[in-house]
Amino acid sequence: MKIRLIVIICLLLLPVNLYAAGKIIVLYPAVSPILSELGVTKQVVGTTSSDETFKDTVKVGSHLKPNIEIITSLKPDLIIAGSKMTWPEEMRKSINSEVFYYNPKTLNEILEKITELGILLNAPAQAAKLNEKLKAQLSAIKPISKKITVIYEVTENPLRTAGIDSIENSIIETAGGINLIKIEKKNVPISIEKVIELNPDLYIYQIGPMNKSPQKPQDRYQFKSLKSKFLSVNELEFARPGINSFDETIKLNKFFQGLCP
Amino acid sequence: MKMIGFIAILLIVFLVSISMGAVEINPFNMTDLEQSIMLRVRLPRVLMAGLIGAALALSGVLFQYVMKNPLADSFTTGVSASSAVGAVVAILLGISELIPLFALLGGIGGLYLVYNIASYKEYTQPITMLLAGIVLSTFATSLISLMKYFSSDGVSSIIFWLMGGFQGAAPLKVLSLFIALILSFLIVRRDYLKLDIICFDDATACGAGIDVNKMRKKLFFIAALLTAFSVGYAGIIGFVGLIIPHLIRLSGLVKASVLLPSSLLIGASFMMAADLIARIILRNGQELPVGIITSTVGGIFFMYLLMKRKKELYYFS
Repeated sequence: MKIRLIVIICLLLLPVNLYAAGKIIVLYPAVSPILSELGVTKQVVGTTSSDETFKDTVKVGSHLKPNIEIITSLKPDLIIAGSKMTWPEEMRKSINSEVFYYNPKTLNEILEKITELGILLNAPAQAAKLNEKLKAQLSAIKPISKKITVIYEVTENPLRTAGIDSIENSIIETAGGINLIKIEKKNVPISIEKVIELNPDLYIYQIGPMNKSPQKPQDRYQFKSLKSKFLSVNELEFARPGINSFDETIKLNKFFQGLCP
Repeated sequence: MKMIGFIAILLIVFLVSISMGAVEINPFNMTDLEQSIMLRVRLPRVLMAGLIGAALALSGVLFQYVMKNPLADSFTTGVSASSAVGAVVAILLGISELIPLFALLGGIGGLYLVYNIASYKEYTQPITMLLAGIVLSTFATSLISLMKYFSSDGVSSIIFWLMGGFQGAAPLKVLSLFIALILSFLIVRRDYLKLDIICFDDATACGAGIDVNKMRKKLFFIAALLTAFSVGYAGIIGFVGLIIPHLIRLSGLVKASVLLPSSLLIGASFMMAADLIARIILRNGQELPVGIITSTVGGIFFMYLLMKRKKELYYFS
């Protein structure tokens, strides 16, 4: 009798979310570390093939082309997708599961999404704690004596850069820089002439799936007259909105500090 | 007389192209920065656009001679798509500096396949060649789709690259393209009369002492090589090889001695103009892929010409 009572008390003391959430499928890998921080791990039954956080879950294809049959077979209660293009809202009825769209474009929107996820997964306290931790991280940002002008290269050929509607823009601006591409798009195909004319203090180029092996900008024939500093970043860390975005902001701020003695 | 007009058009388009762009430059009073933009970015790009336009137009004419079909071009012969397969493989492997080489290998592979499928005991049938080309083109396109599927996050890079553009222009590329184009032109230049004769049936051409199969093989190889160079340097740019030779023919120039050089000149002018539109049509230095411009403008213009002149040229003359 005593043992039963102890077990019941222990169960009641466990975080509420362990009971609340049903089966979850994550179609946007950058969400997985957030779920992990919220303590929502056992409920995640399916992830995309590139998801490194939940390695032992059923793989449901790529985030661009998820496999509907596998997803249906897992009978999820919640699907977390990056956009309506990868997982249309109409699928809600056919699969009979809730859909949560995770597509933040700024650091603040990431915090908002974490709060929303916390409420949805019945882990508001953990979400608030995580948000506090991330905000505390941002408080380490030091003011820069001069705003650093930046252009962020998404792909080398054709040249596409990060526009205003991108997480890269938010990271740059929060770290104390100015993104010179003031166009309301995520990725902007831009003229090399324009880049040379804008002549940024810092030219960031990402390396990753979208820009596999770019030639170093300083070695490019067209960029010889560019006076900028160059910085390569990991696309998967810098251009995927998530917890990593806050780390990248701090790193970039430190780099900016080095540029402004 | 018309040739002088074509040269004048080329010069005018060239001058307009180098004087306009994302950055306003006064060619007569340039700062160091503007000079750098002009010499390192704009000039190589305009030259490369011109050379690729000329190369695609020339390859289009040659394919039409080889296939004896006015619809033949680098697309219908499968060379464009097979070159693109090579280029996409290089993109996927992350060796973008080897894209031209891979495109060349892909193009030569496609050429070898089409030629072998269409050949029987040293003889080649143009219609079989065309069919083989269409099949190869479809197959290569599906291979590209497969690679796009597996590239996942990299898919947009492939899509944008395939839409075509001249941002990668550099002096060495311009020079190699120029050499390839000049050599090709000089080789076919010696065969103007033979080209006119092979437009008749094979028996007539053979009777005139022409080794038709050898001739077709040579032309096919040159055209494929020019296409592979173009795809490797600038991606897939549609319609140029098809519409330029037709435009020239519709203007009444049908003999090889004028059709070929005219195609070179108008192909270069058309591509430089298309690239200029791609560079300046959007605000704030944004660019459109040039393939969209060539296909849209070229397609509409070609349709208009066909509608207007089909009566006198094709059906009821």
